[in-house]
Amino acid sequence: MGRFIFLVGESLTNLRRNALVAAGAILAVFISLTLALGALVINELLRLNTIGWQQGTHIIAFLKDPDQGGADPAGQLAYRDEVADWEEVEAVHYVDKAGAYEEFKEIFASRPELIELTDPLKLPASLRIELQTIDLYRDVQFRLTANPVVREVRSFGEQIEQLSTISRVLNLLGWGLSLVLGLAAVILISNTISLAIYARRNEVSVMKLVGASNWFIRVPFLLEGLIEGVVGAVLAVLTVWLASRNLHSLGDTIQLITLSIPGQFFLRWGVVLVLFGATVGVAGSILGLGRHLREVDS
Amino acid sequence: MIRLDSVTKVYKGGTVAARDISLNIRRGEFVFLVGPSGSGKSTLVRLLLRQEQVTRGTIWVAGKDVTRLPGWKVPFLRRSIGTVFQDFKLLSTKTVSENVAFALEVIGRPRSVIRSQVEQVLELVGLNDLGGRYPDQLSGGEQQRVSIARAFVNRPLILLADEPTGNLDPATSVGIMRILDRINRSGTTVVMATHDHAIVNAMRRRVVAIDQGEIVRDELVGGFEEAQQEETPAAPTPILPDLSLPEENANGPV
Repeated sequence: MGRFIFLVGESLTNLRRNALVAAGAILAVFISLTLALGALVINELLRLNTIGWQQGTHIIAFLKDPDQGGADPAGQLAYRDEVADWEEVEAVHYVDKAGAYEEFKEIFASRPELIELTDPLKLPASLRIELQTIDLYRDVQFRLTANPVVREVRSFGEQIEQLSTISRVLNLLGWGLSLVLGLAAVILISNTISLAIYARRNEVSVMKLVGASNWFIRVPFLLEGLIEGVVGAVLAVLTVWLASRNLHSLGDTIQLITLSIPGQFFLRWGVVLVLFGATVGVAGSILGLGRHLREVDS
Repeated sequence: MIRLDSVTKVYKGGTVAARDISLNIRRGEFVFLVGPSGSGKSTLVRLLLRQEQVTRGTIWVAGKDVTRLPGWKVPFLRRSIGTVFQDFKLLSTKTVSENVAFALEVIGRPRSVIRSQVEQVLELVGLNDLGGRYPDQLSGGEQQRVSIARAFVNRPLILLADEPTGNLDPATSVGIMRILDRINRSGTTVVMATHDHAIVNAMRRRVVAIDQGEIVRDELVGGFEEAQQEETPAAPTPILPDLSLPEENANGPV
């Protein structure tokens, strides 16, 4: 226990003596992990906001009226059953003209003049199709369009695909930047440790002379890197968490989208990022020790 | 205690610092390594500490083959060797007591043991009242005493001193030699590299003279120079009136 306290004391002395350089290393870890976690948060928000779309109706096929060359209601129901048998399709819901008018009234409840002007018979019946997976929307859309009873096909797949692309780009950008900045953090921490060794070269030299083991000499420097990495990571997690809480309160005013991230998400990624910060810190220390400890007069 | 068998050390530039040196130092001996600058005295000290590796030959220190010792075992070798240098190598940010205690802290001794051993060794070197001072508040002689205290606090089997009086005036040097003599009388083998004619001549101990990396003289009771030994009687020189210590001091807190 006494030995541990001595080693921790030595690490804190190192940090105090090289406060400015240590702050630089902490900042590098902080920036890199803030970007990484920020990208993860945006990705999670996209996922949460598109999950409703992904699980609900993916395609709406508006059907032609009989006088437009379409099928009568019985034929439309038969077509529904045919579509329901496609293997890409999870479920099909048929909305007849009356149902369409009810839906129209719901959507435009605030504009009664529009409802009054609309002829219920002009609204088309439709098939609301839920797919097994959203990726299959193009195939189904193609098959529906090819059928002469179908008037128009609308799909949310494109929008979801665009959001997925944005999400992928953001993820890639976030992780790419984090990797580059993480590498910068490793180099900065390694330089911090080198400077610490230089500042304490007399002490290290005396330690070697009086028979301190190699690990005993190394541990305070490893702890120093570890502390820098962990502090940077904890600050990054706290910053993104606080920013997300502010975003959450903003989300209350925007009804259509959710800006709320579950606490579990931060807990899970917080642990991962703190471990990553610790690894970056220790890796930087090992690099710095390897390069400079041998140079101190043994 | 120390044995060198045909030891040769050639540095990268081709400088031969030790040439086929064989030497045997018994437990409890006090040996002076003398010779001009660049003769290879300090290299010998560095070889004994495994700060340098031999090019050829074998070195045994306290029963260990230093030349074949794996790197991770070197710290354990050094725990059995105390070292004193001309430049003291004290840590300016630590007090006298802390400097001495540092040698025990880094090898993981318990606090209670550290406290009592530091007190004892500071008393031995006559600095028990100065434990709270920092090195820059001490004279050169006092700083060297701290350095000796740190080297001896772990009760090593061997004490290596490389020019310990090199930065000190003759009178202060006498004080340092008294302490080294006292340590030697407690059973510790002392090997001291020095330029100091007066001290070597006054102490009348074993002298190993080195020149250009070779042992040119090895006398059980010798002086700094062979010729001088013939001219000078065995009695101590005037600046070192009496280096023999009274028995009660020799049996002191060592």
